Amino acid sequence: MLVSLKNLKQFVNLDGLTPEEIAKGLTFSGVEVEEITKLASGTNLVIGQIIECEEHPNSDHLHVLKVDLGPKYGFEQIVCGAPNARKGLKVIVARVGAILPEIEIKKGVIRGVESNGMCCSLLELGVDKKYLSEKQVNGIEELPSDALVGNEDVLGYLGLDDAVLNLNILANRPDLLSAYNVAREVGAIFSREVNIPSYDVKADFSTKVEVGSKTSRCSQFSAREIKNIVTKESPEWMKQTLMAMGVRSINNIVDIGNYVMLMTGQPLHMYDADKLPKKELFAEDNHDCDFVALDEKTYKIINGDIVICSEGQPMCLGGVMGSLACAVDENTRNIIIEAASFDSASIRHTSMRLGLVSESSSRFVKGTNHFQASEVLQFASYLIKEYCEGQSFSDIKEYQSETLTDLKISTTVDKINNRLGTSFSSKQIKEALERLHFKVMMNKDGKFIAVVPTYRLDVSGSADLSEEVIRLLDFDNVKSELPCLDTKLGALSLGQQRLRNIRDYLVDRGLDECVTYSLVSEKEADCFNLIHNEEHYRILNPLTEDRVVFRTHLLHSLLKVASYNVNRQNKNLAIFETSHMQSKSNRTEHLAIVLVGQDLSQGLLKKEAYDFYHMKGLLEGVFEMLGVEKSRFRFELIKDHKDELHPGKSVDIIFQNKVIGKFGELHPNKIAEYDLGKTSAVVLEMELDALLEAKVSIVKMSPISRFPSVSRDLAFIVDKNVLVRDILKTIKTMGRGLVSNAEVFDVYEGKGIPENKKSIAISVEYQKEDATLTDKEVNDVEEQIKFELSKIYKAELRG
Amino acid sequence: MKNQRLQEILDAALLEISQASTVEEINNVRNTYFSKKSELMGMMSLIGTLPPEEKKTFGQEVGMVKGQIASAIDEKAKLLAEQELAKKLEAEKIDISLPGKNFAPGSKNPFHVIKDEMTDIFLGMGFEVADGPEIESDMFNFELLNIPKDHPARDMQDTFYIDENTLLRTHTSPVQARTMAAKKGQPIRIICPGKTYRRDDDDATHSHQFAQIEGLVIDRNINIGHLKATLELFAKKMFGEKREIRLRPSYFPFTEPSVEVDITCANCGGKGCNMCKGTGYIEILGGGMVHPNVLKMNGYDPEVYSGFAFGIGIERVAILRYGIDDIRKFYQNDVRFLHQFKKKI
Repeated sequence: MLVSLKNLKQFVNLDGLTPEEIAKGLTFSGVEVEEITKLASGTNLVIGQIIECEEHPNSDHLHVLKVDLGPKYGFEQIVCGAPNARKGLKVIVARVGAILPEIEIKKGVIRGVESNGMCCSLLELGVDKKYLSEKQVNGIEELPSDALVGNEDVLGYLGLDDAVLNLNILANRPDLLSAYNVAREVGAIFSREVNIPSYDVKADFSTKVEVGSKTSRCSQFSAREIKNIVTKESPEWMKQTLMAMGVRSINNIVDIGNYVMLMTGQPLHMYDADKLPKKELFAEDNHDCDFVALDEKTYKIINGDIVICSEGQPMCLGGVMGSLACAVDENTRNIIIEAASFDSASIRHTSMRLGLVSESSSRFVKGTNHFQASEVLQFASYLIKEYCEGQSFSDIKEYQSETLTDLKISTTVDKINNRLGTSFSSKQIKEALERLHFKVMMNKDGKFIAVVPTYRLDVSGSADLSEEVIRLLDFDNVKSELPCLDTKLGALSLGQQRLRNIRDYLVDRGLDECVTYSLVSEKEADCFNLIHNEEHYRILNPLTEDRVVFRTHLLHSLLKVASYNVNRQNKNLAIFETSHMQSKSNRTEHLAIVLVGQDLSQGLLKKEAYDFYHMKGLLEGVFEMLGVEKSRFRFELIKDHKDELHPGKSVDIIFQNKVIGKFGELHPNKIAEYDLGKTSAVVLEMELDALLEAKVSIVKMSPISRFPSVSRDLAFIVDKNVLVRDILKTIKTMGRGLVSNAEVFDVYEGKGIPENKKSIAISVEYQKEDATLTDKEVNDVEEQIKFELSKIYKAELRG
Repeated sequence: MKNQRLQEILDAALLEISQASTVEEINNVRNTYFSKKSELMGMMSLIGTLPPEEKKTFGQEVGMVKGQIASAIDEKAKLLAEQELAKKLEAEKIDISLPGKNFAPGSKNPFHVIKDEMTDIFLGMGFEVADGPEIESDMFNFELLNIPKDHPARDMQDTFYIDENTLLRTHTSPVQARTMAAKKGQPIRIICPGKTYRRDDDDATHSHQFAQIEGLVIDRNINIGHLKATLELFAKKMFGEKREIRLRPSYFPFTEPSVEVDITCANCGGKGCNMCKGTGYIEILGGGMVHPNVLKMNGYDPEVYSGFAFGIGIERVAILRYGIDDIRKFYQNDVRFLHQFKKKI
């Protein structure tokens, strides 16, 4: 909402207040002023008259002017390029030293001729182009012949000495879409007198027009018929006010409609009375037809749209736009003005559906004051009488379906203070509310009744009154005090803490944590759906094709991050993300990890390409940190491959016999697809939910044997496909409780080893809890193990 | 010395010892003089054969010579060993400027740094962390927060819809309603960090996805002063002890009164500069007293309970803290960006 201070000060005393002070006052009482702009600006301006106009000797379009600047400044020579510069014309002169919005005027020589100043257009003084005619834009401003040469208050003379406040009106204060109410607000903030004019144009005939409503969506409808109007240009003051408030002047009758709306907040509509099929206007909402509007476009009206009909024909799309059929034009002589109240939701639906959003529709959408129809019509009548030569005014016809009663709120001083954390006296509270034009009946015991001004649609209860009080009396009066609440341990839940631990662990291991967008394209939605295949949520009203589907998997997004970085010469990456995933059937927490290029953790001189075992170790670390025993999870080669992962280097993550994710090296085709370069990439995606909620046993110390252990190595050759995991399991089983640990320390394939075989070396540790082992005991067990290994795995023992 | 030969052996030995220049040479000297076949050892074995009167003197002299040679050898051997070790160590000198093994942790995206830090601050004040779905029902996202259908406030937040009644939550506030439903009239003190979505075109200052931390306290006798003090504590912890906050009236449909909270500008300390557009303050969050309608709709009697709520933009705080100039940087995850945020508090 743009507010002209020049306009505002007609209604509220602003003496001694700068625009900045007014803006600050409004902002700190809840009406944010986003910007203060000047309608026009310029220093060193003076009205002059061209007394000589010669062609410039060295130019085909410049003129050399001699300009009379009045007794104080005498005559100056000015070089001017405006086509309309001519002898006798009165012009705006910016003297040397003038500061205009875009330029500073300096003494100069233009193509060899001295020039001391500039003749200006309004554009050069900062007036927005949209308010100027083509002639005004292309040439210098032509002042009337009665303009006083030598007058230095040029902006004042032009009526452009105005500052405009741009108010950010929030949804709760539609009343402030009215200059009158802004004046009331400013008056309340600065305790200034407010003077809103009221008018009474007496009726001189009784209209035959019938008004009413056949729908609950129009609760109030008032109209007045006015005869013998003349359309012409609006008076200067009105044009200037409209300009300041961001509205283009059209003609007197349109401008009056806009001006009244800007002042009162009540949109008006004007009908050409002679074009109505019948002398009646009824609000209806049961039409389903085409409608040709003022803008000459055809719109489809549907059931539920509020239309104002005459003899059943829509004459106006209520609150949105009038019809062409009964539009007021330059030939209009008799009009009917309407001031009505429409249901916000209906107007919202209609204007959104048709894409017709106007100053008037948005006021109805936000809510209008239902109490002021007659006053508004009187105000408009007065202006029409003054500026449209309106000669004859009917009585005001009113339809009203609701009973208008003042809203009264009863509450207490204590309730107000308790909500605010303040200790205002009943006097302070009463005064604050009265400044805001509430009527307050205060009892001695602190109970009071406040009558809400009719335009304040946002105030309905005690809580609202507390806001009114504090925004006027300042939040600095609120005692800052921590609440006395039960002492409670603020802590993350088990699952939240574990998630934090996993994230911290990965970061501590050198991985970078990312955050990516949840919305992906249709195509991306099906990339790397490694874990499950569930139905995605789709956005009904997406902004772009890139953001249509709510992802159910994370890995694709992370691979895109990898691709982004690799393509910026960051070829070694270890990144991860955890995020909520939501599908139509499931809501889960996912972890994705991507390792690309080389592991730098051993230092830059000992780089090692990331492989399967990096990821495996990282994940085993997660399980160990969470206290999940090794027996509860395992990794199995993936059986049904979709060419996303390397078929020989990727596994299902099985936790408590359920596949919760996958990891492995990326399929070479995918490395190319994501443009990751000539490198290896290892990826993981898993659901964390089961892990986050898993029950794990409490840590209990187990005794460390006092007796020494014996370590022996076994080396043998087995088939390439035998899993070390199975061999170690056999060793432990055959160990008869004497094998305390068995670990692989070398695996070798290649030279010296037969094809499809591998050499494995395992270190076995023997120990007894309660005694020192004898050589014989160890030998016996070792023999047994060797025997079983050769039997089960055809192991050929070496050395 | 009575025995001339012993004197000669001693002199010869001491000369050889002094000439030995390596551990190996001194060991050779030791072998020469102390091997069983050496003259000195031969003389040792003679002692027993001598008559008692000679035995004593000769024995003493042999013993003395042997002792002197042995200690001279030991001394020299020790010296040479030390010299050799020193030489070896000198030769093992490395280029200490080469890079160390990498034990540095990775980086959290500043988004996560701030989210975790803010969470921890509120945990310290006894808050719990609540959670809610990002795909939400209209009911929780709007209706139960005093934003009925066709409320003009709906236009404040352009919404991604899934269907008529399902949407991507536009704020973390639905968790307020969810928590009230779960706590069934009991006091509440929660925060909820989470992702939110609005139908905005992405640019330097707008993002269709962003995150908030929602806060909600409901109990008896809660007032605005409690909100102010809680946020003051938060702001000082988050932005520094010298920061002050100020409340400005504002509007949210689910709080009454509603406030915007400004913090003194970290750049100028409140004097006014470019960063704060000369005001000395920077807006960091919104909040207010829970609207009585919200309490009522969610099963709390507004005559008994009152509460405050607030919402803080996670990226907004990170942007202010780190001077990040483009919200899209969070979601690009350029590692050159991420690696700037390794520092822990």
